[in-house]
Parts: sequence; structure tokens; C-alpha cells
Amino acid sequence: MKAVAARIAPVVMFVTGAHAADTAVTHYTLDPAKSTLEYQFVQAGAQNKGKFTRYPVTLDFSPDNLATSKLDVVVDMSSLDTGDRERDDTLKSADLFAVSKFPQAHFTSMQITRTANGYDAVGKLTLRGVTHDIHVPFTFRTADEQGKPAGYLLGRTTIKRLDYGVGQGDWKSTDEVGNDVSVSYSLRLIPAAR
Amino acid sequence: MTLRNTPARWGAVSQFLHWLIVVLIIAQVILANIAEDLPIGMKKLAMYARHKSIGITILGLAVLRLLWRLANPTPPLPTTLKSHERVLANLTHAGLYILLFAQPLTGWMMSSARGFPVSWFGFLQLPDLVPKNDALYNAMKETHDTLALALYAIVFLHVAAALKHHFMLKDDVLRRMLPFTRKP
Repeated sequence: MKAVAARIAPVVMFVTGAHAADTAVTHYTLDPAKSTLEYQFVQAGAQNKGKFTRYPVTLDFSPDNLATSKLDVVVDMSSLDTGDRERDDTLKSADLFAVSKFPQAHFTSMQITRTANGYDAVGKLTLRGVTHDIHVPFTFRTADEQGKPAGYLLGRTTIKRLDYGVGQGDWKSTDEVGNDVSVSYSLRLIPAAR
Repeated sequence: MTLRNTPARWGAVSQFLHWLIVVLIIAQVILANIAEDLPIGMKKLAMYARHKSIGITILGLAVLRLLWRLANPTPPLPTTLKSHERVLANLTHAGLYILLFAQPLTGWMMSSARGFPVSWFGFLQLPDLVPKNDALYNAMKETHDTLALALYAIVFLHVAAALKHHFMLKDDVLRRMLPFTRKP
């Protein structure tokens, strides 16, 4: 009898449109103070690092309802910081990120699937006015921190700067500045009311 | 010519290290002066990348050269030198050795303090010698630039002395560092 009920319940819920509360996605926003969005690139043969300091994130997520889960990240490109003023100004200039013309980069997921190690958000990244599909693999865990819930989203992906035109003129060369840029994210997310 | 030094003559290893370092230092001066005047861009990056890689190469060669010198007899200065000339010669040579170490090291520290890690021709990323620090970067840049001027001055003395020995005093001081000369 129980087994039959379990089989029928989803059908009933589907028909009545009454999704059970535990499959509703949680709406999260970023805790910027405890999050990092960093990138690594090869410059003159050596690994160099930088980060962004402003990148609002919204995540609608439930492991049990990936179909309506969604990750959305807007990166304020003027917040790029490689620890060197001269290099940052160069990166913001027209031949690289062209920040005055393209002040934001935007990632929005189209589909989130489960993988062996966690999840994979496939979506569209728009950078310097060019859009490509990318994979954003991540792990996600929730934590109860003195009664306050939080979510942690961690992962790393690689994008090719030249796919987005980041590098015009001489900067198209990959001899001294590599094409691959590794982007790593460690985000603390806080559930919020919609 | 023997590999090792003899009391009369620099051996092949010493000569090779000496002249290789001469060529590399000339390349360094050219690269640094071109790079300095270039606008920020890929060419400037490339020039400085070579400059750093060659600098690290010189540092490695300087270590080998010092070890080789310690493990070999040093052809003595000519006995005709007056005592103040002897002091000047020794100071010049010591200065050159010090600069072979100091110039690459201050350059390396300059890069580390600026937050730009140094790579040896893209094959090997070197550790940062000092943490990123703007004041330290400025101090190291100042030192590196000043030592370059000191190097020019000491090299001028060194070359002038070698030519004086060869053409005016007509002794074998220059010849004993040259690979293809007949014995006098």
C-alpha cells in the first residue's frame, strides 16, 4: 500500500500542480566578504593571479530540483585586481577587456546537471560583448552556522580569452600571455527571500 | 688549451664562462634599454621576459664560475704591476664578480616585489624572493639601475686595462683569456 502511494504521489502532485515544499529551490545571494572569484593566467611564462571584488551572484538551487535551479553571475569588470595598478589599467583598456565599453561580464546557466563530483552548470558567458556556452562545474554544500543556514559553492573552470576577443592587436599573441585563463570560485551564499 | 686553468693561462672552461657571460650581458643591456622605452604591450612584456630569463642564466653561470675559480689555480697578475695597480685590479675583478650576483638578484627581487613571478624561459617558474611590496620594488629598481651604471664603469676599467696590457705593456694578460692565440 505504501509503495503504491509513493508511486502515485508525484503523479498527483504533477496533476494538481502542488510541488512538495522540499523540492522548491532556495534563493541565495552572495556574501561578498566570505567569497572569492579569482583567475590565473600565464604571463611571461609564469603563473600570475588576480581577482574580482564585485560580482553579484544569485543562485536558485535545490539538489532535488535541478530543473528549476539557476546560477547567475554578473561581474563588474572594473573591479578586476591583479595587484598591480599599471597592469590593471592595461587590462581595462580597449585592446583587452575594454571596460568602458563592456562594463560587465555575465554568466547565466541554462541547465544544471549532476556529475560524479557535484554539479555542472552549462550556460552562456558574455564577456567583452561576445557570448559562448561554457561549463561551470561546482560542488555545493549547505551548512548550519549557529542556526543560520549558508550554502558554499566551489569550483574551477577554464576559459580561452581569445574566444571573447580579450586581446586585440599585439595582445592576440599567446607567447607572453596565455590563452587559457583558469577561473576559480569559492562562494558563500545566504538564503534570501525572493 | 686545457680544460682547467694553469698558472700561465685560463683554461677552456674559464674562457667559455667568461665570454658567454660577456655576450649575455651585452644582450641584457640591449634588451633592458629597448624594453624601457617601449609602450606597455606584448613587445615590452616579451623583452622583459627574455631579460629576466637571461639574468637568471647569468646568475647560474656566475655560481659555476665562482666554484670553478675556487677549484682551479688562478693565473697570477703580472709581477710588473705596482702595488696600487694590483689593488685596483683586484677591486675591479671583485666588483665584477659581485655584480654578476647582485644584478640578477636585485632584478629577481624587483620582479617579486612588483608581484610578477619570474620564469626561466617558460620552463621553470622561480619562487618569489621577497613578498609583494611597492616600497621594496622602488628600492630594488633604484638599486638595479644604479648597479647597471656601476657595471658599465667597471667593465670600462676592465676592458681599458686589458687593452693597455695587450697594446702598451705587450704582456699576455689579454691573450691568456683568448681561445685562439699563438703562444708568445
